[in-house]
Amino acid sequence: MIKNIKLYGSFLVASLKRMMEYRVDCLVGMVSQIAFQIIELIFIWVIFQNTDNIAGWSFEHLLLLYGVMMLSVSINDLLFDSTYDIGNRLIKKGKFDTILLRPVHPLISVLGESQTSTALGYMVLSVVLIVTMLIKLQITITIFLIIKILYFGILGGLILGGIQTIFSVAGFWIYKSNEVVWSVFQLHKLAQYPIEIYNKFVRIILTFLLPFAFTAYYPTLDYLGVSESKLIYVTPLVVIFVWMIAIKVWNWALNKYRSTGN
Amino acid sequence: MPIIKVNNLVKKYKISQKEHGMVGYIKHLFHPKYKEQTAVNNINFNIEQGELVGYIGENGAGKSTTIKMLTGLLTPTSGEIIVNGIVPSNKRIENNKQIGAVFGQKTQLWWDLPVIESFRLIKKMYEIPDGEYRKNLKKFTQILDLEELLEKQVKNLSLGQKMRCEIAATFLHNPKVVYLDEPTIGLDILVKEKIRKFIKDINQEKNTTVILTTHDLKDIEEVCNRIILIDKGTIIYDGEKETFKNKYGKHIIAEFVIQNKKSNIALETSKEEFEVLEEKEKNIKIKFNHDKQTIMNIVKAISNYCEILDMHIQEEGLEEILKEIYKGETIND
Amino acid sequence: MINKIWSIAKQNAKEGLYYRFDLLLYIFNFMIEITVYIFIWLAIYNNGDQILNMSFEEVTTYYILVISLSPIINWGINEMMGESIREGEILRELLNPISYFNYYFGIRIGELIESAIVGILTFIICSLLFGILLPAGMTNFLLFVMVIVLAVVIVYFFELIIGMTAFYTNSIWGVEIFKRAILSIFSGMIAPIGLFPEFLQKIANILPFKDCIYTPISIYFGELNNLEIVQVLFKQCIWIFVFYIIAKVLFNKAIKNITVNGG
Repeated sequence: MIKNIKLYGSFLVASLKRMMEYRVDCLVGMVSQIAFQIIELIFIWVIFQNTDNIAGWSFEHLLLLYGVMMLSVSINDLLFDSTYDIGNRLIKKGKFDTILLRPVHPLISVLGESQTSTALGYMVLSVVLIVTMLIKLQITITIFLIIKILYFGILGGLILGGIQTIFSVAGFWIYKSNEVVWSVFQLHKLAQYPIEIYNKFVRIILTFLLPFAFTAYYPTLDYLGVSESKLIYVTPLVVIFVWMIAIKVWNWALNKYRSTGN
Repeated sequence: MPIIKVNNLVKKYKISQKEHGMVGYIKHLFHPKYKEQTAVNNINFNIEQGELVGYIGENGAGKSTTIKMLTGLLTPTSGEIIVNGIVPSNKRIENNKQIGAVFGQKTQLWWDLPVIESFRLIKKMYEIPDGEYRKNLKKFTQILDLEELLEKQVKNLSLGQKMRCEIAATFLHNPKVVYLDEPTIGLDILVKEKIRKFIKDINQEKNTTVILTTHDLKDIEEVCNRIILIDKGTIIYDGEKETFKNKYGKHIIAEFVIQNKKSNIALETSKEEFEVLEEKEKNIKIKFNHDKQTIMNIVKAISNYCEILDMHIQEEGLEEILKEIYKGETIND
Repeated sequence: MINKIWSIAKQNAKEGLYYRFDLLLYIFNFMIEITVYIFIWLAIYNNGDQILNMSFEEVTTYYILVISLSPIINWGINEMMGESIREGEILRELLNPISYFNYYFGIRIGELIESAIVGILTFIICSLLFGILLPAGMTNFLLFVMVIVLAVVIVYFFELIIGMTAFYTNSIWGVEIFKRAILSIFSGMIAPIGLFPEFLQKIANILPFKDCIYTPISIYFGELNNLEIVQVLFKQCIWIFVFYIIAKVLFNKAIKNITVNGG
């Protein structure tokens, strides 16, 4: 286990070095990813040109929620981004065979290939949003709060990474597996808004089935200090649970893959 | 105690049969139909530590399916593989530690990084001790002439340079068994020579078992001492390379330098006597079965039509023998 | 010439349609996207806000149309163009017995055939699922299609202009994302332009991108009178001309560079 995590680290460093080879691309990527997020923000802004609150949440509240969400997204991209399109990138081109021949669990190798260019852009955006909104909402920024935000940010990233890893196995059968992962992460868009605006069905999905609510909504409630819900404390358990499923699903898919060949 | 044991190995593939049209497509989605195809049909062999085995056959004969099963990339449908006491498809990671593999054009190196970085990552992955790593790196660098390549990015290397690095990477952790699938494809003759020499050297020194599949039979002539020939999923020959040649190579090729040719020799003689491969004014090249003909008879026959100035005799190479086997000329005996 | 473009389009569409499972995936994706938007707007409406006299049915219809039409904006030739320029494939493309502009137009049309199938199927499924407002009249529907056809041409020339940057930079995908950002804001894809603040509406009115999505949908709802529709068509023709000229000038310059410097 320790050895695996260390190797994962070495792979990530290699991946970072590779990114440095493409500094300009990396910078362009960063800027354009921010631009993409700004489109989403413009949508929120446009809505608030026509209304002053959604279910009691003001514009500032929503932007804070957005920032919190982006933090976990950026951590997911930093650490686990590479499972996104294994179908096209690894399986189709046969590159996965060389990964299978390494003396390491293939999931470690695959995760270690994460390219982190988008993560940096997201992180900058999320920090800017969180800090300015906390100030605007007159919430005092204490060391404790900062630690808490980082803690739940990392846990949120782990949840997203686990979910992405689960659905990435589509790549063993479908070359365009990125479309499948993308579909799932479309639902993540719902987590950009306070889940009380949705009906019970959607709320249950976002809490228990695809626990996106733990990556943004529940932590934000806590930072705003309006939460009576104790759900946030089970976040670490959610992380463990999601990853247990992810590893099970991956091993199952690997076995299938190796018995049918390619 | 053989290092690789293969017993009654079978691999069947399911091939999905799609019907045409949208209706057929949707039907297939809910009720898929499959056809079974046997790629490897009950093969058996043992390989001892330190053997250099050429595993040959035509495209689609079941070569790469076998190699994939030996490496653990594919699970057999039935039968047993044991590599150094491990069943590859059960303990894949354990097996990976003791083997090395090169698959044609697929690289195990990190494309955008300098070669040396890949080597360092491999060192970490296989937990190669410092001393061993340095010793191997130094030796490989020298034999394969890698000195100037180590700091270059993999993507900037030529095909031959890349393969040299690839081969080095494969042997870095002193694997017990190495599978080389088409390691020389598309390379120029000098690089091929280097790679062949490297394989022989390492085998000499470390007693590494090597299983080699290739289309260039020169590789096998120079490197291997044993041949396994597979055709349509079954093994049709397994044994010494020299025995293989003696058994199947019944033809001799003779070249004559001639003058004063009186007529067209190919037209005057029958195929029963010998086969004319090439005929010009000043020389002629023929092939004959040495079970049925003697060289003296041939010389007599040819001198009826011209004066012989010089001659040169050689046995058939592996390539010609295999061509005949594939054409079905020699198969039944 | 039309024949050649058409045969390239057909070829390209066939290739795309060959992977039918991908089509199902696209449709599924589109449906999820629409569902997400509908949920968000449903929440806003439940909140009691009547937004800009748009009924909830209108908003639902708006987003079903938007997502079904989105390939006009989100797909495109830029990735392919960029790759071909970077890898030097362009030299082969210049030797084609058809001009570069027509060649890529064929490819884009082929892609649009594929996307039209995805779009129409998505539209049908979603209208059954969520309910939809029908077009205000037959003429409205025909004009809706006509404006979209012209918009496709506009977007195509705009893509060519964006694609030309590949001659000067390796990071074409950055530029492409920039293109998509501009297009999705000013076409009305993320939200009806009527909801935008005044100054953004003004910019959107000048740019031609509004006529890819927002204008046709307005025509579909019957919100534009005949004079306004004629104005739109006229404006579209002018923009086609402007973009064509810019694309042509940039292209000739780039080709000169290639043929003089050898790439």
